[in-house]
Amino acid sequence: MTELGRVLQVARTDFSYFFRTKWLMAVLLSLNLSDMLVVGLVYSGLMRFNYFQFFVPAVVVMGLFVASLDTGRRIWLALREGVIQYYLSLPISTQGLVFAYLLAGGLSAMVYSGSLLLVALVVLPAHAVWNALVLLPFLFILAMGLAGIAAALAALASTHGEFFFAYQQIVQVFLLTFSTVYYPKYVMEKYLPAALVTVAQANPLSIAAEALRDFAFAGHPIQVSIMANMILTSIPFALLGAFAYSRALHELQVKGKL
Amino acid sequence: MSNITRLIWFDLKQELNPPVWIVMEWVVFALQLSIYGALISQLVTSMSDYLQFYAVGFVVMMTFEIGSHTGRHFVENAHEGRLPYLLSLPIPRWKLFFAIALQGGVELALLLVVPLSVTLVLIGNLTAVSATAAVATLFWLGFGVAGLMLALSFIAFRSTDIYTAIVTALSTLIIRFSTVLYPLIFLPPSYASGAKFSPLTYGADLVRLLLGFDPSMLLDPRMAAVVLTALAVSTLGLGMLLLQRLVEGVKTA
Repeated sequence: MTELGRVLQVARTDFSYFFRTKWLMAVLLSLNLSDMLVVGLVYSGLMRFNYFQFFVPAVVVMGLFVASLDTGRRIWLALREGVIQYYLSLPISTQGLVFAYLLAGGLSAMVYSGSLLLVALVVLPAHAVWNALVLLPFLFILAMGLAGIAAALAALASTHGEFFFAYQQIVQVFLLTFSTVYYPKYVMEKYLPAALVTVAQANPLSIAAEALRDFAFAGHPIQVSIMANMILTSIPFALLGAFAYSRALHELQVKGKL
Repeated sequence: MSNITRLIWFDLKQELNPPVWIVMEWVVFALQLSIYGALISQLVTSMSDYLQFYAVGFVVMMTFEIGSHTGRHFVENAHEGRLPYLLSLPIPRWKLFFAIALQGGVELALLLVVPLSVTLVLIGNLTAVSATAAVATLFWLGFGVAGLMLALSFIAFRSTDIYTAIVTALSTLIIRFSTVLYPLIFLPPSYASGAKFSPLTYGADLVRLLLGFDPSMLLDPRMAAVVLTALAVSTLGLGMLLLQRLVEGVKTA
């Protein structure tokens, strides 16, 4: 079997593990669907503008984000329970193993957020479904970048579960709060300092949410610059995660423990 | 009493060394209130000060999360084999149950002290009686939720995965279908009927009434007090029964 074949085998195992975790599926689905169909709808009644229309595409991005972050939990579990020692004994390179995890993280996030996108397309009229399909490969790169963040957190926390979940929650809250996922940019400009608004604009979650709103649901023509921004802001996270996880694996190979 | 104190401290010292969760919850509260709450309140036009409404709602959500944690912690103990050890200790079952409930109360106090103080300062113009009554309501709600999660823990003796799935999905729905984030009068009729089954609706509305919010958008306080009391008494009673009669010799799957 070639290296690529082994990478795909490991990725497939990790990918299927995500969908076998019943409690995780229950959490994610109940959270995202209730956000979309309850919070979005009720807030819409409390506001002058159509918040439901604004929020539904954002829930798809939130789903992509939380599903990608689960890569970190799976890496942390593998480190804690010694499964990683088994993986390291397989005829696969360290880089291949790291890539397999990021690939599985990206794929599982895509399948999960894809199901949310289908619900979104049912509840909200989309003016350009074709554009939504064009966005999918870019969302996949974003998902791999977000999985990279999770991998970096898992490597940082090592075997300390409480630290991993704490880091994960903090990163999740920071990235979602400082983005245009929950509120439009003009509201942020009125209330927050310019530097924070710039950070929020450069946040890949904001770029993805805006792209879905504008291109898939509002039907505006796709702008190449925005797609390029999505890739440019996602790749550094994927590289950071790959580097952190590779270092953790290297340390494990040298010292035998973390 | 010394046995109970020792049991509580035994678990609590692990959570306080270092106090990662407590500090994290405070940071999350600060961010949620100062950024999310403030920005969303700019968009909400149907209410005069949504930030205050949201602050109370967030404190109620935190109370719910901590109450749930008490129940989940009991299941974790069973799953990791600590429960048989606790059951073998020379203390009566009621004391063990009391220690579990009291530990939840201490955790609640530790985690809520900063967020609740900030919320009370934000609302301002409060009397000592109203603030104390609001704190008491939050603790009553916390005990009720902990009791509910303890009562549900019998599912974990069949499958921990299914227990976690049910509890987490239920928790999300109990929060979303409640008046924690929005007043009952703004909920669509189909959602409003669902919200009346959520204990958080009664807890949040009673706390808001005690803190001086407009009563016209809140539920009848007598009804809220009755529901919260019924929840706390029935679920804690069921939890105690479970611990005394059913838990001996079982292990989680």
